[in-house]
This record gives sequence, C-alpha cells and structure tokens, in this order.
Amino acid sequence: MMVGMTRAQRTLYSVLGLTGFLLFWELSLRSGLLPGSLVPLPSSIPGVLWLELLDGIWFDVVRSSLSHYSVGVLLGSTLGIAVGISAALLPRFNAAHAWLARLLRPIPPLAWIPFAIIWFGINPSAAAFIISIGVFWINYFASYSAVHSIDPGYDEVARAFGQQRFLARLTKVSLPAAAPGILSGMRAGLGQGWMTVVAAELFGIHGIGQRMMEASSLLATDIVVVYMLTIAALYATFDFLFMVVQRRLLRWQS
Amino acid sequence: MTDSSMTMPPVLSARNVSLGFDDTTILAGVDLTLHPQEFVAVVGASGVGKSTLLRALAGLLAPQSGRVEIPAAITRDSRAWSMVFQAPRLFPWRRVQGNVELGLEGLSLSKAERRRRALEPLALVGLDEFAERWTHTLSGGQQQRVGIARALAVQPRVLFMDEPFSALDAITRRRLQQELVELRRRTEAAIVFITHDIEEAVLLADRVMVLGNGGMDQPARVVEILEVDMPLDDRRDYPEFAPLVQRVETIIGSY
Repeated sequence: MMVGMTRAQRTLYSVLGLTGFLLFWELSLRSGLLPGSLVPLPSSIPGVLWLELLDGIWFDVVRSSLSHYSVGVLLGSTLGIAVGISAALLPRFNAAHAWLARLLRPIPPLAWIPFAIIWFGINPSAAAFIISIGVFWINYFASYSAVHSIDPGYDEVARAFGQQRFLARLTKVSLPAAAPGILSGMRAGLGQGWMTVVAAELFGIHGIGQRMMEASSLLATDIVVVYMLTIAALYATFDFLFMVVQRRLLRWQS
Repeated sequence: MTDSSMTMPPVLSARNVSLGFDDTTILAGVDLTLHPQEFVAVVGASGVGKSTLLRALAGLLAPQSGRVEIPAAITRDSRAWSMVFQAPRLFPWRRVQGNVELGLEGLSLSKAERRRRALEPLALVGLDEFAERWTHTLSGGQQQRVGIARALAVQPRVLFMDEPFSALDAITRRRLQQELVELRRRTEAAIVFITHDIEEAVLLADRVMVLGNGGMDQPARVVEILEVDMPLDDRRDYPEFAPLVQRVETIIGSY
C-alpha cells in the first residue's frame, strides 16, 4: 500500500503511466527509432481488432481456445484437488505416490506436447490435455498443503460431537477449513491455464495461439498484439469473476 | 448433587485407568464414578495428565489399561457425552447457530427441531440474538459461551470441560463461573471439570479430585478426593471456603 496517496491520485498515476508508455511506443515508431516491421503502431490496434471482429475470426478463435481452456482447467482442477486432498488425508496413498509425484512434478506441461499429439492427434483434446497438466499440479499442491495444515483441534471437535466418520469429517471439517487454500490454488490454476493455452495451440490446434502463429509468419504484428491483449482481457475477466465467487464462498473470513 | 441422583445408576464409571504412550505410563490407577448432576473437578500441577485423563474418560484416547464406561442408553436425539475445550474451537466457516448444531447433525432430528434445539442453549448462555453472526465477530467470552451451548445442545449425560475459562480475562471468568453455577440447576448432565484454578474447583464442584506425582519414575496418581460440603450459592462467603482452597493447595504443593 502506497502511503500518502488517495485512490484518485493512484488512478491518475496509473493512467499516466500507461498513456506514457503507449505514447513513447507510438512516437518511437513514428520517429524511426524503432523499425515498423518488428512492432506495430499502438494506434493501429483498435482498427485491426475491428477487422478481426467483422470477419468473425476473433469470435471463432476465442470460442475455440475457450473450449480447450475450460475443459483443461476443469479437468486439471478437479483431479488436482481430488488427488491433493486424498494425499493429505490418506497417509498410505500419500506415501505410495510421493516419489511418482516428485518425478513428474518438474516436467513442464509443454514437454507433454509430443505425447499429446501421439495420443490425441492435433485436435482440441490434445490442447485440453496439455492445459490440464499445469493446472493439475498447482491445484494438487495447493489442496494438499491446505488440508495438511488444518488445525488438528478441529478434527477433535468433530470427533467429540459425533462426526467421526470419514465422510462427515471431510465435508464438515476438511473441505471448509481448507477452502481458502483450495480456492487460491484454483485461482492460480486459472492463470496457469491461459499461459499454456497459447503454447498448446502453436502447434496447429485451432485457436488464439494458432492465429498468432499464422499472423507472425506473415509479419502481421498488429494481429499478434490484438490477440495478446485478448488473452490479457480474458484472463482479467476470468480472474475477476472467480474472485467474486471466492469472496462469496469465504465471506466467513474476518 | 441431590440424594435422589445418588440412587440412580452411574453415568460414568472408570476402573483402574492408566494412561501413557509407548512404554511410559504417565497416570495410573484412576477410579471415578459419576452420577447424574454430579460435578467433579480435577486439579493438579501442570503436566500431571489432567487433559489426557479427560480425553480418556471421553473415549477420545484409548487408556493403556483399565476401562471407562459411559452406560448411556442411545437415544435418537441426544449424545452420551460432549466436551467444552480450553480454546472455544468454533468452526469459523459456520455461523453461531451452525456451530451449536454440529453435534445434532446425524441425530434423528428434522431441520426445524435442530434449529430449536440449538436456540435453547444459546438462550441459556444469553446469545440467542447472536445466532446468525459469524464467530469472529464475537468476543473470547462470547465464543466460549457458544462452545458451552454447543456442548449442551446434545443433552449429554456427561459434560467434559477442559479448563474452559482459563483463557479468559478475570472478569469474564467470574461471570462464566457464576453462569455455570446457574446452569448446573438446569441440566441433568454430570460434569467433569479440569482446571488449574483451585478456587474455581472449590467454587463449582461437589468433589475435587487431586492428581499428584507419584515420585521418581512413578506415574502420577489420584492423591486425594475432597468433598465440597457447601451450598452452591455464594460459596466464597462461607467460612469453610478459604480453608478448603488452602488445603487443596497444600496437597498439590506436597506432590
């Protein structure tokens, strides 16, 4: 938190910073300081976006990427949370897969691309698979540590009040007590998903990534920037919506 | 305790209970029989095993040897025992009402009955108007009252209390002690009350059970059980009060 600034002042500075950057960028190109073939003019971007929208290309590729993203995030989050919670609650299961997890964890999601293509072909399932891997690990570790660090006193309370069965303790203690950590993991996973979505599509799977690759091969840098900004906007929207849900679910926190 | 309650069958009987872990025994040879509405306070130096004993009596910990029975008939709408902890340990993700309902979940009660059963003890501890509040909005004393309401809601035959007032400030502690004296008249439950505050023990209990160390490499044991033969109201004003407190202090000091 910045000291001695009002909210209005902070907003003013933020607007000035962004405008200054865009102006510097525009003027550098116009004055010949930067070569126009490598970077597009910022002022050309709205027009290019408009053309992409008019042609229907924007909606087409965004819809396609969104479907990979949704399936990948949903799959990765669900499995990651389920396995993470099970690992924290079931010591035998935890011990049995601990080394396997340690072996697989450092492999970046993009390293799975060869297998994704061999197993699924160049199609949406391959993209969803790659996206789900990164999302899985984030959710796995977040859920594991969230459940693992629950105050054991809560479990004793549950047992003292007749809630000793596994399912009762899971739904009445583990899940609600770990909810803040699990939800933070889900939110981080939503971000991670967008990072892999583009990379997964660079290999020709229809979507934003493929459109960017296509544009860059024609040196249409303005189109590349349009989709970079599109991803930023989509991420911001998803993050905002999730934050609203998260706040609602965790309204019990002080 | 009334004479009639003595003639009723016991609600808890512990025989020759020993506690410890691995090969080490920390407390040995505890016998305890409790009748309805009876109140036993357990005192003793820190680390003597008071809280461990309480958990063993409740069945949360298995004793090394001996047996504990809480021969309460299973009913559709009550539990044999419940517990008030040192820290209130409320679930912050539940509202006050939801916390008090915890022990009622899983019993054969409709949602409306559960709600009513939770509001009764909340009214008893003066917090029925706080039913819809989140727990972090309550003071420490109010949270402990909710903990007491949660334990009473299941209409236990035995109520275990583990230093329930020790984390509270002196004024709140006095007030809650007074409330507990009132509460005793309205509940059938027998109470086992752990405390390190000897005055509190003499103030509230019918019997004070003193645990003491058994000597070098010996487990702790029950060294004395004292009857508190005073009416419950304003015990501090009775001439016997201070000498009895003094006597318990001397006993604890000599072990």
